[in-house]
Amino acid sequence: MDITMRAQNGVTIVALGGSLDSNTSPKAQQEMDGILAGGAKKVAVDCTTLDYISSAGLRVMLGAAKKLNGGAGLRLFGLNQSVREVFDISGFSKILAVFNSEADALRGF
Amino acid sequence: MHPPAKTRKGCHIVAAMPSLRMTIGPDPGQVAGVSQAFADFAQAHKVPPAVRRSVSIALDELLNNATAYGFPGRGGDVSVEVDLAPDRLSVTLSDSGKPFNPLEMAEPDTALSVDERQIGGLGIHLVRRMMDDVAYHRRDERNVITLTKRLA
Repeated sequence: MDITMRAQNGVTIVALGGSLDSNTSPKAQQEMDGILAGGAKKVAVDCTTLDYISSAGLRVMLGAAKKLNGGAGLRLFGLNQSVREVFDISGFSKILAVFNSEADALRGF
Repeated sequence: MHPPAKTRKGCHIVAAMPSLRMTIGPDPGQVAGVSQAFADFAQAHKVPPAVRRSVSIALDELLNNATAYGFPGRGGDVSVEVDLAPDRLSVTLSDSGKPFNPLEMAEPDTALSVDERQIGGLGIHLVRRMMDDVAYHRRDERNVITLTKRLA
Protein backbone atom coordinates (compact mmCIF):
# COMPACT_ATOMS: atom_id res chain seq x y z
CA MET A 1 0.00 0.00 0.00
CA ASP A 2 1.39 3.36 -1.05
CA ILE A 3 -0.19 6.48 0.38
CA THR A 4 0.71 9.97 -0.84
CA MET A 5 -0.88 13.27 0.09
CA ARG A 6 -1.04 16.76 -1.32
CA ALA A 7 -3.14 19.84 -0.64
CA GLN A 8 -4.86 21.84 -3.35
CA ASN A 9 -7.18 24.83 -2.78
CA GLY A 10 -8.23 23.67 0.67
CA VAL A 11 -8.75 20.04 -0.39
CA THR A 12 -6.46 17.27 0.87
CA ILE A 13 -5.94 14.78 -1.94
CA VAL A 14 -4.97 11.31 -0.69
CA ALA A 15 -3.72 8.85 -3.31
CA LEU A 16 -3.98 5.15 -2.41
CA GLY A 17 -1.88 2.65 -4.37
CA GLY A 18 -1.91 -1.16 -4.21
CA SER A 19 -4.43 -3.08 -2.13
CA LEU A 20 -6.49 -1.78 0.78
CA ASP A 21 -7.18 -4.92 2.82
CA SER A 22 -6.89 -6.27 6.37
CA ASN A 23 -3.09 -6.05 6.16
CA THR A 24 -2.79 -2.51 4.83
CA SER A 25 -5.89 -0.82 6.29
CA PRO A 26 -4.29 -0.06 9.71
CA LYS A 27 -1.70 2.10 7.94
CA ALA A 28 -4.37 3.82 5.84
CA GLN A 29 -6.45 4.35 8.98
CA GLN A 30 -3.47 5.95 10.70
CA GLU A 31 -2.82 8.28 7.77
CA MET A 32 -6.48 9.24 7.54
CA ASP A 33 -6.67 9.89 11.30
CA GLY A 34 -3.63 12.13 10.97
CA ILE A 35 -5.22 14.12 8.16
CA LEU A 36 -8.42 14.60 10.13
CA ALA A 37 -6.53 15.49 13.32
CA GLY A 38 -4.74 18.15 11.26
CA GLY A 39 -8.06 19.84 10.66
CA ALA A 40 -8.86 18.76 7.10
CA LYS A 41 -12.49 19.40 6.23
CA LYS A 42 -12.42 18.30 2.60
CA VAL A 43 -10.68 15.08 1.54
CA ALA A 44 -10.53 13.67 -1.99
CA VAL A 45 -9.34 10.07 -2.25
CA ASP A 46 -7.49 9.29 -5.48
CA CYS A 47 -8.13 5.59 -6.26
CA THR A 48 -6.44 5.63 -9.69
CA THR A 49 -3.75 3.15 -8.62
CA LEU A 50 -5.84 1.31 -6.01
CA ASP A 51 -5.85 -2.35 -7.11
CA TYR A 52 -8.62 -3.70 -4.85
CA ILE A 53 -10.41 -2.98 -1.59
CA SER A 54 -11.86 -5.41 0.97
CA SER A 55 -14.26 -4.72 3.84
CA ALA A 56 -11.31 -3.68 6.03
CA GLY A 57 -10.67 -0.87 3.54
CA LEU A 58 -14.35 0.04 3.42
CA ARG A 59 -14.18 0.46 7.19
CA VAL A 60 -11.47 3.12 6.77
CA MET A 61 -13.55 4.97 4.17
CA LEU A 62 -16.70 4.82 6.29
CA GLY A 63 -14.85 6.03 9.38
CA ALA A 64 -13.47 9.00 7.45
CA ALA A 65 -16.88 9.80 5.96
CA LYS A 66 -18.49 9.81 9.40
CA LYS A 67 -15.91 12.34 10.63
CA LEU A 68 -16.22 14.51 7.52
CA ASN A 69 -19.64 16.06 7.93
CA GLY A 70 -21.66 12.89 7.39
CA GLY A 71 -19.77 12.16 4.20
CA ALA A 72 -20.17 15.63 2.66
CA GLY A 73 -16.45 16.34 3.12
CA LEU A 74 -15.27 13.14 1.40
CA ARG A 75 -15.05 12.53 -2.33
CA LEU A 76 -13.48 9.64 -4.25
CA PHE A 77 -12.37 9.35 -7.85
CA GLY A 78 -10.55 7.03 -10.26
CA LEU A 79 -12.08 3.75 -9.05
CA ASN A 80 -11.23 0.70 -11.20
CA GLN A 81 -13.88 -1.88 -12.06
CA SER A 82 -13.13 -4.07 -9.02
CA VAL A 83 -13.28 -1.21 -6.51
CA ARG A 84 -16.44 0.06 -8.20
CA GLU A 85 -18.00 -3.43 -7.90
CA VAL A 86 -17.20 -3.57 -4.17
CA PHE A 87 -18.71 -0.10 -3.70
CA ASP A 88 -21.84 -1.16 -5.59
CA ILE A 89 -22.31 -4.44 -3.68
CA SER A 90 -21.76 -2.79 -0.31
CA GLY A 91 -24.06 0.13 -1.07
CA PHE A 92 -21.16 2.58 -0.65
CA SER A 93 -21.78 3.95 -4.17
CA LYS A 94 -25.01 5.41 -2.84
CA ILE A 95 -23.71 6.90 0.41
CA LEU A 96 -20.29 8.18 -0.68
CA ALA A 97 -19.59 10.74 -3.41
CA VAL A 98 -17.82 8.91 -6.24
CA PHE A 99 -16.52 10.77 -9.31
CA ASN A 100 -14.84 9.59 -12.50
CA SER A 101 -11.94 12.03 -12.58
CA GLU A 102 -9.99 14.33 -10.29
CA ALA A 103 -11.36 17.36 -12.15
CA ASP A 104 -14.93 16.16 -11.56
CA ALA A 105 -14.22 15.46 -7.89
CA LEU A 106 -12.70 18.87 -7.22
CA ARG A 107 -15.31 20.86 -9.08
CA GLY A 108 -17.46 22.77 -6.57
CA PHE A 109 -15.87 20.93 -3.59
CA MET B 1 -13.07 -30.53 -15.17
CA HIS B 2 -11.98 -31.57 -18.65
CA PRO B 3 -11.67 -35.29 -19.44
CA PRO B 4 -8.07 -36.39 -19.73
CA ALA B 5 -6.69 -36.50 -23.29
CA LYS B 6 -6.09 -39.93 -24.76
CA THR B 7 -2.84 -40.81 -26.47
CA ARG B 8 -2.58 -43.22 -29.42
CA LYS B 9 -1.56 -45.97 -27.06
CA GLY B 10 -4.65 -45.44 -25.00
CA CYS B 11 -2.85 -44.00 -21.99
CA HIS B 12 -4.38 -41.06 -20.18
CA ILE B 13 -2.42 -37.86 -19.88
CA VAL B 14 -3.59 -35.47 -17.19
CA ALA B 15 -1.98 -32.07 -17.54
CA ALA B 16 -0.89 -30.81 -14.14
CA MET B 17 -3.08 -27.93 -13.09
CA PRO B 18 -1.29 -25.01 -11.48
CA SER B 19 -1.92 -25.06 -7.77
CA LEU B 20 -0.93 -23.25 -4.59
CA ARG B 21 -0.86 -24.87 -1.14
CA MET B 22 -0.22 -23.00 2.09
CA THR B 23 -0.85 -23.47 5.80
CA ILE B 24 -0.80 -20.64 8.32
CA GLY B 25 -1.28 -20.36 12.06
CA PRO B 26 -4.29 -18.77 13.80
CA ASP B 27 -2.84 -15.28 13.46
CA PRO B 28 -4.33 -12.48 11.31
CA GLY B 29 -0.77 -11.23 10.78
CA GLN B 30 -0.09 -14.28 8.60
CA VAL B 31 -2.89 -13.51 6.11
CA ALA B 32 -0.67 -11.01 4.27
CA GLY B 33 1.69 -13.86 3.33
CA VAL B 34 -1.16 -15.72 1.63
CA SER B 35 -2.28 -12.55 -0.17
CA GLN B 36 1.23 -12.06 -1.54
CA ALA B 37 1.63 -15.72 -2.52
CA PHE B 38 -1.71 -15.66 -4.34
CA ALA B 39 -0.80 -12.42 -6.15
CA ASP B 40 2.46 -14.06 -7.29
CA PHE B 41 0.61 -17.23 -8.35
CA ALA B 42 -1.95 -15.20 -10.30
CA GLN B 43 0.76 -13.25 -12.09
CA ALA B 44 2.80 -16.36 -12.92
CA HIS B 45 -0.23 -18.13 -14.40
CA LYS B 46 -1.83 -15.10 -16.07
CA VAL B 47 -5.05 -15.14 -14.08
CA PRO B 48 -7.26 -12.31 -15.45
CA PRO B 49 -7.02 -9.19 -13.21
CA ALA B 50 -10.77 -9.15 -12.45
CA VAL B 51 -10.62 -12.75 -11.20
CA ARG B 52 -7.41 -12.13 -9.26
CA ARG B 53 -8.90 -9.12 -7.50
CA SER B 54 -12.18 -10.85 -6.59
CA VAL B 55 -10.39 -13.92 -5.22
CA SER B 56 -7.88 -11.71 -3.34
CA ILE B 57 -10.80 -9.98 -1.63
CA ALA B 58 -12.46 -13.30 -0.76
CA LEU B 59 -9.20 -14.66 0.70
CA ASP B 60 -8.72 -11.52 2.79
CA GLU B 61 -12.28 -11.64 4.15
CA LEU B 62 -12.41 -15.35 4.96
CA LEU B 63 -8.86 -15.79 6.26
CA ASN B 64 -9.13 -12.69 8.41
CA ASN B 65 -12.43 -13.96 9.85
CA ALA B 66 -11.04 -17.42 10.53
CA THR B 67 -7.80 -16.26 12.16
CA ALA B 68 -9.30 -13.36 14.14
CA TYR B 69 -12.33 -15.15 15.61
CA GLY B 70 -11.94 -18.91 15.13
CA PHE B 71 -9.29 -19.66 17.74
CA PRO B 72 -10.08 -17.91 21.03
CA GLY B 73 -7.12 -18.67 23.29
CA ARG B 74 -5.97 -21.80 21.47
CA GLY B 75 -3.78 -22.97 18.64
CA GLY B 76 -4.65 -24.52 15.31
CA ASP B 77 -4.12 -24.09 11.61
CA VAL B 78 -5.72 -22.71 8.47
CA SER B 79 -4.91 -24.30 5.13
CA VAL B 80 -5.34 -22.76 1.71
CA GLU B 81 -5.59 -24.64 -1.59
CA VAL B 82 -5.88 -22.82 -4.90
CA ASP B 83 -6.35 -24.73 -8.16
CA LEU B 84 -6.40 -23.13 -11.57
CA ALA B 85 -8.34 -25.03 -14.27
CA PRO B 86 -8.78 -23.83 -17.86
CA ASP B 87 -12.22 -22.41 -17.09
CA ARG B 88 -12.17 -21.69 -13.36
CA LEU B 89 -10.22 -20.92 -10.25
CA SER B 90 -11.13 -23.02 -7.20
CA VAL B 91 -10.20 -22.26 -3.61
CA THR B 92 -10.57 -24.51 -0.57
CA LEU B 93 -10.02 -23.05 2.90
CA SER B 94 -9.94 -25.42 5.85
CA ASP B 95 -9.45 -24.47 9.49
CA SER B 96 -9.41 -26.28 12.82
CA GLY B 97 -11.17 -23.39 14.58
CA LYS B 98 -14.53 -23.38 16.31
CA PRO B 99 -17.53 -24.27 14.11
CA PHE B 100 -18.59 -21.26 12.05
CA ASN B 101 -20.72 -21.24 8.92
CA PRO B 102 -20.32 -17.80 7.33
CA LEU B 103 -23.23 -18.51 4.99
CA GLU B 104 -25.60 -18.41 7.97
CA MET B 105 -24.76 -14.78 8.66
CA ALA B 106 -27.54 -12.27 8.04
CA GLU B 107 -27.17 -10.03 5.01
CA PRO B 108 -26.18 -6.50 6.01
CA ASP B 109 -28.52 -3.59 5.31
CA THR B 110 -26.67 -1.82 2.49
CA ALA B 111 -29.24 0.98 2.21
CA LEU B 112 -28.42 2.83 5.45
CA SER B 113 -26.86 6.31 5.58
CA VAL B 114 -23.21 7.08 6.37
CA ASP B 115 -24.00 7.67 10.05
CA GLU B 116 -26.01 4.46 10.41
CA ARG B 117 -23.78 2.12 8.45
CA GLN B 118 -21.73 -0.64 10.11
CA ILE B 119 -19.09 -2.88 8.55
CA GLY B 120 -20.07 -6.12 10.31
CA GLY B 121 -21.18 -8.83 7.92
CA LEU B 122 -20.09 -6.88 4.87
CA GLY B 123 -17.06 -9.09 4.17
CA ILE B 124 -19.09 -12.27 3.81
CA HIS B 125 -21.65 -10.38 1.72
CA LEU B 126 -18.85 -9.35 -0.68
CA VAL B 127 -17.61 -12.95 -0.94
CA ARG B 128 -21.07 -14.32 -1.74
CA ARG B 129 -21.67 -11.70 -4.41
CA MET B 130 -18.22 -11.81 -6.02
CA MET B 131 -17.76 -15.58 -6.23
CA ASP B 132 -19.75 -17.83 -8.58
CA ASP B 133 -20.13 -20.50 -5.92
CA VAL B 134 -19.54 -20.60 -2.16
CA ALA B 135 -20.08 -23.71 -0.03
CA TYR B 136 -19.50 -24.54 3.62
CA HIS B 137 -19.01 -27.96 5.22
CA ARG B 138 -18.14 -29.01 8.75
CA ARG B 139 -15.91 -32.02 8.12
CA ASP B 140 -13.56 -33.94 10.45
CA GLU B 141 -13.77 -31.20 13.10
CA ARG B 142 -12.82 -28.56 10.53
CA ASN B 143 -14.56 -25.65 8.80
CA VAL B 144 -14.21 -26.19 5.06
CA ILE B 145 -15.16 -23.42 2.64
CA THR B 146 -14.96 -23.92 -1.11
CA LEU B 147 -15.05 -21.05 -3.58
CA THR B 148 -15.34 -21.12 -7.34
CA LYS B 149 -14.72 -18.22 -9.71
CA ARG B 150 -15.19 -18.75 -13.43
CA LEU B 151 -12.49 -17.27 -15.64
CA ALA B 152 -14.85 -15.95 -18.30
